[in-house]
Amino acid sequence: MGRSYFVDEAVEEYLGGLQAAPGSCVTGLLAGQSSPQRDFVVLAVQTPHRESEGQPKASKGVSPLDDIDVEWVTEHAKQVSRMLPGGLCILGLFLVTPPELSKDAQNALKRLIFAMDKYITKGRLWELSEEDVTDRVTLHICSKTKKLVCKSFDVKDPKSSAKPADWKYQTGVSSSWPMLTCSVEVDLQIPVTGSSSDNTDKCMKDGLRRWAKQIEAACCLINGRQALDDSEFISGQKKNPKTTNRQTLPARIIVSDEQSELDERSSALVQVCSGSMKVRGVVHCRAYIHNNKPKARHAAQAIKRDIINTVCSRVEMFLEDLLINEGSQKGLCSGQQALPRRVFAPMPISGLSVCDYMFPDESTADVAERLKEMLDCETPEEGIDTSLESNQLFSAVSGSEITNSRDDDSNKHVISEIQDGTPKIQKAPQYYAGVAVAAAIALLATATSLLYFS
Amino acid sequence: MVHSEERDIIFRLKGILEFACQLENPNGAQSQGTISKSFQGLRSKVSSKNIVLTVCNSPILIWPNTGFRSNVESLMEASSCGDILQYIESDDSGSKKSSKKKDKKKSGPTAVNMKLLFEVTEPAGNEAPSLIRVSTQQHCVKMPLPLDCVLSVSTDESLATVCTGLVEALNKQLADMEEVVLRYRKGSSFLVPQPFHFQLPEPAGFTTVIYPAGVPDSQLQAAREDLHRRFKLPSDRPYLRRANAFHFPDAAYKDGYLRNPHIHLNPPNIEDAKLYLVQGVYSYHHYMQDRVDDDGWGCAYRSLQTICSWFQQQGYVETAVPTHTQIQQALVDVGDKEPRFVGSRQWIGSIEVQAVLDQLLGVTSKIMFVSQGSELATKGRELANHFQTEGTPVMIGGGVLAHTILGVAWSENTGQIRFLILDPHYTGGEDLQTITDKGWCGWKGPEFWDQNAYYNLCLPQRPKTI
Repeated sequence: MGRSYFVDEAVEEYLGGLQAAPGSCVTGLLAGQSSPQRDFVVLAVQTPHRESEGQPKASKGVSPLDDIDVEWVTEHAKQVSRMLPGGLCILGLFLVTPPELSKDAQNALKRLIFAMDKYITKGRLWELSEEDVTDRVTLHICSKTKKLVCKSFDVKDPKSSAKPADWKYQTGVSSSWPMLTCSVEVDLQIPVTGSSSDNTDKCMKDGLRRWAKQIEAACCLINGRQALDDSEFISGQKKNPKTTNRQTLPARIIVSDEQSELDERSSALVQVCSGSMKVRGVVHCRAYIHNNKPKARHAAQAIKRDIINTVCSRVEMFLEDLLINEGSQKGLCSGQQALPRRVFAPMPISGLSVCDYMFPDESTADVAERLKEMLDCETPEEGIDTSLESNQLFSAVSGSEITNSRDDDSNKHVISEIQDGTPKIQKAPQYYAGVAVAAAIALLATATSLLYFS
Repeated sequence: MVHSEERDIIFRLKGILEFACQLENPNGAQSQGTISKSFQGLRSKVSSKNIVLTVCNSPILIWPNTGFRSNVESLMEASSCGDILQYIESDDSGSKKSSKKKDKKKSGPTAVNMKLLFEVTEPAGNEAPSLIRVSTQQHCVKMPLPLDCVLSVSTDESLATVCTGLVEALNKQLADMEEVVLRYRKGSSFLVPQPFHFQLPEPAGFTTVIYPAGVPDSQLQAAREDLHRRFKLPSDRPYLRRANAFHFPDAAYKDGYLRNPHIHLNPPNIEDAKLYLVQGVYSYHHYMQDRVDDDGWGCAYRSLQTICSWFQQQGYVETAVPTHTQIQQALVDVGDKEPRFVGSRQWIGSIEVQAVLDQLLGVTSKIMFVSQGSELATKGRELANHFQTEGTPVMIGGGVLAHTILGVAWSENTGQIRFLILDPHYTGGEDLQTITDKGWCGWKGPEFWDQNAYYNLCLPQRPKTI
């Protein structure tokens, strides 16, 4: 029983417009939403061009298929998955090859799809549930005949073989998908034991994991009703491809402080720490739900996962560039640093939004550039919504003890406020050329750090 | 508390709040201030608009600090709190609360369990997150505070009043917990403050006391003396030991024994008679329990177990109810029996019961001797006095049987008497219906006793202690 992929016509257009140099291959991602019965594909993006160091591309005897930079493809997948709001994920890969390579294409796709899934899911803070669909689609397109071969692999099973799948084009696949939104206040206190950067990472991961469990177990209200069971998630709007009104449904998350592993103790847990980390602020979250009879708890799950992902992604991004900056010195600096804030932009045609993370010294122009590179789409700067999360305010750090209460007026001095109109930091020319995007952010963050630690 | 036609409701709000603080120097002078500040933060948290109260087993969610909001439209500020009951799904197989009322003579208020939750959405601002790092050596203290507040109201009290009352109770409990945490703290060693609820005689009424976890009752004598003074409690019997904590009507006993089966009985219909019953709580121990087949020989042991359970649950002892083997061993230890007694199926009588109570529990008992069973009918006054002053279950042995007397119905004028008997010879399961219907716990007349046999009664005396 194969899977059925319902694909938006915009994707068809995009795939049709792909240009491949004669004899070479084009790889790319397919993104959308899975449901137990069928899958929906709403976005296709080719892997961005990576400028090589100038060496000749394929030496004799090496097939362009073997030349595919798996690392680059998976890195692109990871960057794009960070840009997708809740409910959406990378559903698979496509590969355009010339006719002579078609027969080896399947193997290449299989390698890629497993590598990609492994890389994307590394460091994820939530576990897949029984009902999550673990099939990923591979689409092979012959550059000459334009013939499509669509298969799926169960990425949970490394030994799985390709299963046949249906690829059907439709208009407005996601046009009436309701959007859940919420703003979540995050206030985490994470003790740090040990002083190496590995320790800091591990402590941060542990702290975030505990918080993620709390969110997963939380009660979720969508539009005022508890979303906890198999009842149909009634979005209240009949599916009408003609309307472009997308319903926005507020979600509310209610947690309890239950921590069963500490329940039986008769005394407090005391750790001697070399320091602590607090993550504090408000994150804006979004999730889309398909409208093919979704269940209420799946809707709740989608928004909860977005909440967890957005906090996790930001911290990851921040620590990634910190590692490049400070190296082994990490953990010795005190102070408050802004985590990147989330901005949203509309995806072409489908109207779903994608997101990106803006470091404090960046501007919407930087975001637009990234969207162009990662998602291969032009976004006008005015279309980028930066209003959902506001810039961070900075409190005075008195000695080494930061007060717990943010409302303690006596301690709050706004000593610097980063304005939107800060002059753009001149980007180093290597930004686009063959350097992983994470490292690029690091360069900007270096400037950021200098600003804060003065 | 006035019991009117309206049944009272006890609202019980439980929740875990994590207490966290960082101490640079746990033994330093500043640490107390830091701890207090953390508690202050928690008090702000429960007074904030983010707290949500949910009624267990129901879809009800209430935001008490936002001018009362609820997700159930028909529940509003002015609604009477009794309206909540209809939304609660009861766990009992099929029987709803209303039919239960008709069944047995069961008094007592309804308990409504609530949980404390926090909303993390709808924040006050929308400032994007920051990472704040502190790099000084410090002790990170984390402790889950087991909040447990109780509010007893009549069913027509408004929901708004109930919610305000509960939030106030949370605040007060945090303040009490802070006091206990500070008092019992040693450097960086913190004891978890645990709430216990007690139903005390007026004027104190329903009261909650915080005790530090891990400190046994025996070491909290001074704290109890202080509380006895404050609440004007008699100083010769325990009211505030952990075992004396109020047992909520809906909470099941984890050990599976039935408690006080006698309260489900109708008193005998004797003109002019007063009831003199056992005070407090005991467990029903009988044949075949705990996988011990003592059918035919263990009845006195079981009666003794019932008595021990009474002393444990009134807070006089912390030791568990003894097994047959432990009872036998105690008799060997005091020299009353040979070592080979242990593991045997030999009967014991009132004298042995008295000896074991003394040896294992430190409890003294009076022995009453009756030369003929028919004479028991004349012992009304003594038994009435016993139940009034001591209120402990009585073990009676004679003929070939042992029983437990839980009370008497006695008329001072006519001398008519009935005995409330708990029969240890029952071999079935913990089925209240069977036990009361078939008279395994029931009122018996004087003809119940073997009129010609002699009987010994063991009347345990309450130790004078708090």
